[in-house]
Amino acid sequence: MISKLLRKNTSPARIAGFTLSNFIGLAIVLVALQFYRDAGSIWSDDDSFIRSDLLVVNKKVTSSNTLGGSSAFTESEEADIAAQPWSRRTGAFTASDYRVLASVQSGGRGMSTYMFFEAIPDEFVDVPRSQWTWRPGSDEVPIILSKDYLTLYNFGFASSAGLPQMSEGLMSSIPLTLTLTSDDGTRRRVMHGRVAGFSNRLNTILVPQAFIDETNAELGTGAARRPSRLAIDVSSPGDVAITKYLDAHDLEVAGDKSASSASFLLRVVTGVVLSVGGIITLLSLFILMLSISLIMEKNRATLHQLLMLGYPARDIARPYISLAVWASTAAYGLAVAAAFALRAYYLHAIEGLGAAPPSPWLMPVVGAALTALIIALNIIAIRRRVASAFF
Amino acid sequence: MQTITLVDVLPRVFADDSIPPSEVWRGHLMLRKGDVCLVEAASGGGKSSMCSFLFGAREDYLGRILFDGRDIRTLSMDEWLATRRTSLAYLPQELSLFPGLTAMENIRLKNDLTRHVPESRIGEWMERLGIADRRDWPAGRMSVGQQQRVAIIRSLCQPFDFILLDEPVSHLDPANNDVAAALVAEEAARQGAGVISTSVGNHLHLNYNRRLRL
Repeated sequence: MISKLLRKNTSPARIAGFTLSNFIGLAIVLVALQFYRDAGSIWSDDDSFIRSDLLVVNKKVTSSNTLGGSSAFTESEEADIAAQPWSRRTGAFTASDYRVLASVQSGGRGMSTYMFFEAIPDEFVDVPRSQWTWRPGSDEVPIILSKDYLTLYNFGFASSAGLPQMSEGLMSSIPLTLTLTSDDGTRRRVMHGRVAGFSNRLNTILVPQAFIDETNAELGTGAARRPSRLAIDVSSPGDVAITKYLDAHDLEVAGDKSASSASFLLRVVTGVVLSVGGIITLLSLFILMLSISLIMEKNRATLHQLLMLGYPARDIARPYISLAVWASTAAYGLAVAAAFALRAYYLHAIEGLGAAPPSPWLMPVVGAALTALIIALNIIAIRRRVASAFF
Repeated sequence: MQTITLVDVLPRVFADDSIPPSEVWRGHLMLRKGDVCLVEAASGGGKSSMCSFLFGAREDYLGRILFDGRDIRTLSMDEWLATRRTSLAYLPQELSLFPGLTAMENIRLKNDLTRHVPESRIGEWMERLGIADRRDWPAGRMSVGQQQRVAIIRSLCQPFDFILLDEPVSHLDPANNDVAAALVAEEAARQGAGVISTSVGNHLHLNYNRRLRL
């Protein structure tokens, strides 16, 4: 009987208006969020070894470098980069100061090649510690190879030389024998290499810092050398200030730049869409609050009389709270359904682009959290309004 | 609740006026459970204001009102609502019936909350007050006198230590006044409760042990 009294003056049109606008706002938020996660996987899974906010820079090689000029960074240049506002920290590449011969034995056929090693401080490498450690004196060293080397071998060298092509997995399982020789040939060390992974963004052959430090001390000439490449941990990879600085100082970024700018663009677009959806959701929250406030204001005399009869405030609030809960839950259900439907529609297209979409559990959870927030704010507003009818 | 005490109470609107001598305003008055008290006043003397102050519906007064020694300004909303369900009954002068609900629905609105009176006794009371045939009429279509009788029954549908009746019989004939007085007296006696009834002339026919001039 009291809910019949309290529901008087309820406008179905206003409640439907709320449900619709909340549905639209929430659906935009959820689709944008889900699309960002799904599409982001196109870029994000391409390099699990190096964090996306890490830039590897080197000086452009010009004829002056070849004719005696150095492409190494001086201490002041390194300090200048470290002092830029977009640079969180920098790490220098340390090159091996000795000769490296890598050889592979497979099915009686042997292959060998000269190569080199480089290292950057371990905190820049995003590989589990257990796989990226080197204990002093150990004779097995983990290596991260540039994916370009594998591509060059498979599609350039192997096909022309009649050698078998190799997958990443196969490559990783082949034992490499490494012979490290000092420049003067007097000292040498033989050890095993294990390919820990391939990277798109590092054009080098990377080994742990501790390994380089020890072997350089053991086999190197001892001459101090300035790094020719720097790893920079940047606060925002898409920042134009970075591009301007690099252009002004004739520096190059290694690896695929287009991927990071595309993912940056995705982030910007998603941010815009998310804010639009967020604003619509916020407006719908106000519509619901205003509609319920209006009903309660029109029923103020009823609320007051029920309080005069001694009805508990929560009994009086209940019909309005259930209205808010039902309307919000309906909008939430519709929005999640719409987001999943849209996802099914675009998923095929982005899978063709190489995305590995993550499980979409986050999207309904975020939607539920927003809905819970809307309901909670309404409950607070409703309770206040009941209390205000006391006098 | 055993006592209601009024200390220096005065409606704020009277603060600047010189008011005629009063046994309630600006005095020290203690009402005990079991008192049957008539508060007489001329129209405009503030008796409805007094009822509203005592029932917590208004706070625009000076001085202090105490329930069992506790200042009622310190009661929370929930404490007030509990008081209105269990220890203080009130028949407002304006009756406050829901015009869209029937006589019986209006009474049930209170009795469903308190579960104090069996439905058969409500029927019996309506019978005695001569409104049994209006049971299913919307309150808005009943005469003021009939509405007053519905409101009297509703005010009795709860346990109480005090019952506040604001001009309860202003629209009743002497016969119905007697019946209403008998009902109030029976219920108050059964619960050992106090009665505070106001009047501008036509007062409820009870055996008052206190008469106060407002």
